[in-house]
Amino acid sequence: MTKEMLLTNGRVYDPMNRVDGEQKDIAISDGKIVERVSGKAKTIDLKGRMVMAGGIDMHSHIVGSKLGFGRAMCPEDHRKDPVPKTKVTRGGVGYTMPNSYVIGYRYSAMGYTTVIEPALPALKALGSWEELEDVPCLDNGLLPLFCNSMITFNYVKEKDISGLAGYIAWILRKVGGLGVKVVCPGGTYAWAHGRNVRELDSEVPDWGITPREIIRGLTEATEALGLPHTMHLHPLNLGRVGNIKTTIEHLEAIKDIKGHKGRKQICHLTHMSFESLAMHEDEKAKPEWKWVSSGGLELAEYANKNKHFTVDLGQITFGPATTMTGDGPFQFTLYQMTKNKWANICVDVEMPGGAGVVPYFFDPKSPANAVQWAIPLEFALSVNDVWRVIMTTDHPNAGPFTKYPLVLSWLMSKKQREIWLEKVHKFATERSTLADIEREWSLYEIAITTRAAPAKILGMHDVKGHLGIGADADVTVYDLDPTKTNLADDPEKIIKTFGESYLTIKGGEEIAKKGKIGRTPVGKVWTIHPEVSDELWERANKELEKMINRWYAHSFDNYPVPERYREHLEQKVVIDSTSVSA
Amino acid sequence: MTESEKVFQNVVCPFCGCLCDDLRIEVKDGKIVKNDEGCAISKAKFLSHDEDRLSTPTIKRNGEHVEVSFDEAMKRAVEILTAARRPLVYGLSSTENDAHREAYKIAETLGGVVDNTSSVCHGPTVLGVQESGEAAGSLAEVKNRADLVIYWGSNPQFAHPRHLSRYVRAEGEYIGDPKTGRKIWVFDIRKTISAGVADEFIRIEPGTDLEILGAMRAILRGHVLDIEEIGGISVKSLTEMVEKMKEVKYGILFFGLGLTQSKGRHRNIDAAVRLVQDLNTFAKWNMMPMRGHFNVAGANKTSTWQTGYPFAVDYARGYPRYQPGEYTAVDMLARGEADALLNIAADPAAHFPRRALRHMAAIPIINLDPKRNMTSLMAEVNLPAAMAGIECDGAAQRMDGLPMYLKKLIDPPEGVLPDRDILKTLHEKIAKEVG
Amino acid sequence: MQLENANGLGEVLKMSAVGVDVLLTSGRTLKQGRGMEIGKLSSDYFDAVSICEMDESTLKVLGIEDGDPVRVETDIGSVVVFGKHDRRAEPGVVFIPCGPYANAVTGSDTLESGMPGYKSIPARVFPAKGETVPTVEEILAEMVGVG
Ligand code: SF4
Ligand SMILES: [Zn+2]
Repeated sequence: MTKEMLLTNGRVYDPMNRVDGEQKDIAISDGKIVERVSGKAKTIDLKGRMVMAGGIDMHSHIVGSKLGFGRAMCPEDHRKDPVPKTKVTRGGVGYTMPNSYVIGYRYSAMGYTTVIEPALPALKALGSWEELEDVPCLDNGLLPLFCNSMITFNYVKEKDISGLAGYIAWILRKVGGLGVKVVCPGGTYAWAHGRNVRELDSEVPDWGITPREIIRGLTEATEALGLPHTMHLHPLNLGRVGNIKTTIEHLEAIKDIKGHKGRKQICHLTHMSFESLAMHEDEKAKPEWKWVSSGGLELAEYANKNKHFTVDLGQITFGPATTMTGDGPFQFTLYQMTKNKWANICVDVEMPGGAGVVPYFFDPKSPANAVQWAIPLEFALSVNDVWRVIMTTDHPNAGPFTKYPLVLSWLMSKKQREIWLEKVHKFATERSTLADIEREWSLYEIAITTRAAPAKILGMHDVKGHLGIGADADVTVYDLDPTKTNLADDPEKIIKTFGESYLTIKGGEEIAKKGKIGRTPVGKVWTIHPEVSDELWERANKELEKMINRWYAHSFDNYPVPERYREHLEQKVVIDSTSVSA
Repeated sequence: MTESEKVFQNVVCPFCGCLCDDLRIEVKDGKIVKNDEGCAISKAKFLSHDEDRLSTPTIKRNGEHVEVSFDEAMKRAVEILTAARRPLVYGLSSTENDAHREAYKIAETLGGVVDNTSSVCHGPTVLGVQESGEAAGSLAEVKNRADLVIYWGSNPQFAHPRHLSRYVRAEGEYIGDPKTGRKIWVFDIRKTISAGVADEFIRIEPGTDLEILGAMRAILRGHVLDIEEIGGISVKSLTEMVEKMKEVKYGILFFGLGLTQSKGRHRNIDAAVRLVQDLNTFAKWNMMPMRGHFNVAGANKTSTWQTGYPFAVDYARGYPRYQPGEYTAVDMLARGEADALLNIAADPAAHFPRRALRHMAAIPIINLDPKRNMTSLMAEVNLPAAMAGIECDGAAQRMDGLPMYLKKLIDPPEGVLPDRDILKTLHEKIAKEVG
Repeated sequence: MQLENANGLGEVLKMSAVGVDVLLTSGRTLKQGRGMEIGKLSSDYFDAVSICEMDESTLKVLGIEDGDPVRVETDIGSVVVFGKHDRRAEPGVVFIPCGPYANAVTGSDTLESGMPGYKSIPARVFPAKGETVPTVEEILAEMVGVG
């Protein structure tokens, strides 16, 4: 039996189809947006409420060993936020690291329907698939890390882009990945030596290659394969004052690489808030926190001139956060700074030295934190093309995803920014241009940054991020008549509106209503299957068997994630990469 | 080779936290006849897997275990659990992750407590980590890089028989000859068999781990200690050791129950964590608990993502609460608080101290296990289960956090189901009762 | 430790049934692991866990041979096990593999940690010639009063 639904009298914001607040009906049949439905369809009169596609978060740490470590290490984090079970939902805990069920519920209650985990150690993928089974109400995807793997290094050293592409294809297929993630290329590896690599042209220990060669190699391989999502980059020197210079150097280093089939973008720069720390202009200035200033404007100006990359914010929100990155050396520095508890996680040959977890509190009265807060806002409000800017908090690094409504209020309301500039340390005003910025994002722009643009950047835009015919019926209705309120004047209303959807529909099913979860289906896990030539596939298998059996502490045979953990969840997207030479 | 002969390669051994994945298992006429590569314990596990089994469900009538149908045993189990006011769900370390999921559901639906066996092995490790963090190591990194390997309060030759040969006395990419390329030190109160194969054995006085670790940290930080010796070790030789530890390329501290169970418990771990964190200022250092049961690390992991907490979880209020010392199994029993026990893939009767046992005898126990064991002798209801990693598949977690897939090699005895299926049915029935 | 010059003293100690003060510790052994996998009610398991390992001088003081029964007593209780010689052991520390015999003399207080004190329990070992070592079932029954 077909399941039909008709949403009438909504005010629709659907930038991919250039719909900007028009009154429209949305017809749904069998989980898809359709032209029209029969008279039997369940009809919901939205009475002028605002409608957008389901929200898409392209960078949020929702599963995996880092998060597990963080959760286990910080019971004090969860106990402040108990979540009792209901007839439909499981019990749990919230705060900065909710348990898996509550992650699904809370995203859904805010109107999100797709969330991507951006840091998967490929050899631990089985664990993440098991965990995704328990993250309800959302579609997901996993981005495996390729940046500090000895296998990557081996191919980069040999300047063997085909070999590297074969390896990427093999990993994406065998463990179920969505794209290529790069974290602190070469630096995390050096952490196995207790060191870091700070410059693009410094050598990576043991290998005699440089971070420049690594990111170039991985970008070239990604484009050769034609992966829908571009190379997802967390550059060197994260969280180091003055690192805006390094970040732009990374972007420059790959600028000339040709996009697959002429596409403009070849890189996604993630959590720019941590990568765009400038140094205050002063002759005494040193790369120390007291000299930090915002590099948001500088990056925005660079982005306005150079179109080859997209960016997500990693917006700092004040209050507790839990930092967790694949950037082991950064995490150690943060530990030395804060003396908070510190976990290092090494995940074998993918990232010797590995990741780290350190709890953190972003304090509005801290000069450094205030500047960090201003950076992404300054950037976002200075970039011309919102299609290249995604709102995230790099959950839970810069704050939990439940702070998104607050972030939106900063982006949409100058009034709100003024209120906050009063509250936070004066450095936010003195060391950034934020106070002078008049711009306020419109609802159309919000729909771009939280729906259409991430879908595009992830390459899921055929069916996600919009409400055109044929799209997945992931729909969010907000309890707001946009013709009746000027949100910029009413920041509290922004927070209230985006804090809780009026209705969240995923795959044609009503999941949440006014913040209450009514259904908890398990979503799909999106994966990319590059079909490469038989020769390349054979070669990859042969060479990887050798390398894995030599370098790892478990066998090649036991590396892949078995079908039984995947088949019921997986949404395979097969792409033709047979043009990559063997 | 005939139809009835099968050889399985790269089989994961479901006994200890090493989860060695290189076994070659031969099956003939539905029976396992050979285990190549496995250690003595592994061989015993595979070759004797069908001995001493719980063959049929039983319930107790007038003090006697009576064989009953699966449904009847289930019915009794549901009666017991739904009548209980403070049920305890316990075990989980010797079964695969999907069974855990069902166990947490049962605890939540009942409003009971769920704890895993880590509370009596590396629970203190978790507590130490919650205090200070952890510089966690991985076995591949150890194999490729570690030039100094310390075992503290751990006897791998007995408890993890292939740990040394697979990861430590093995060739590594940046180590060369493992015999000369790395040093092994053993700290223990007894000269164990592992101490016998180490390069150095450091005998410490029982119960002095905390003092010694603290002294090492003080020395590392440049403090002068005005004592001659500590815990049976002279301060001079302790200082020499610390100097060597600062100069390694990559050091790893493996620690066992000798550290977690002895005086100081989680404080010992806290001290070890802090020592290793401080060592990172000088050299690369990591640490790793020597996890015992093959999936006890997995139990902590599944509990953490599903409840938020790694063990000792109480659902009495409809949401998970965490408190070791309160919701841990030994305490729940010794205090006389639990009034029913659902025991899954563990043998508390063989491992809990006297007072906890005495209370176990006073409450109804529902016991899921492949084999007869001491808990099965006491249980009100016994439900035979398939053996994970031999008779049913599943996922488990190695001591360094690596997830591994356990294969199914042969069918379980007729009518015997995997833990996950038994628990799933049990949960459905309970949910129906509880509403 | 009053174990030095133990030769000849053993008889006296035995006669007066004075035990030897030790620290009792427990832990895993290879045999215990194997025995467990063969079956907790198998003779392999019984043989593996119903023992107390000690150094030569302690055996001498107790005046017993390798394999003779000994009684181990702590504040919690007492248990009869086979005294075994461990050539690597030193005076002052004895060892019972983890299992029901060790548990019979282990306390349940976890000091709010969840973990009972399985290691380094103050204990006294006595010779127990003529006493029998209970089977796994018997010791369980003795501990809990059921079979
Ligand atoms: S060391 Fe452990 S996992 Fe490896 S074969 Fe022996 S018992 Fe099995
Ligand atoms: Zn991130």
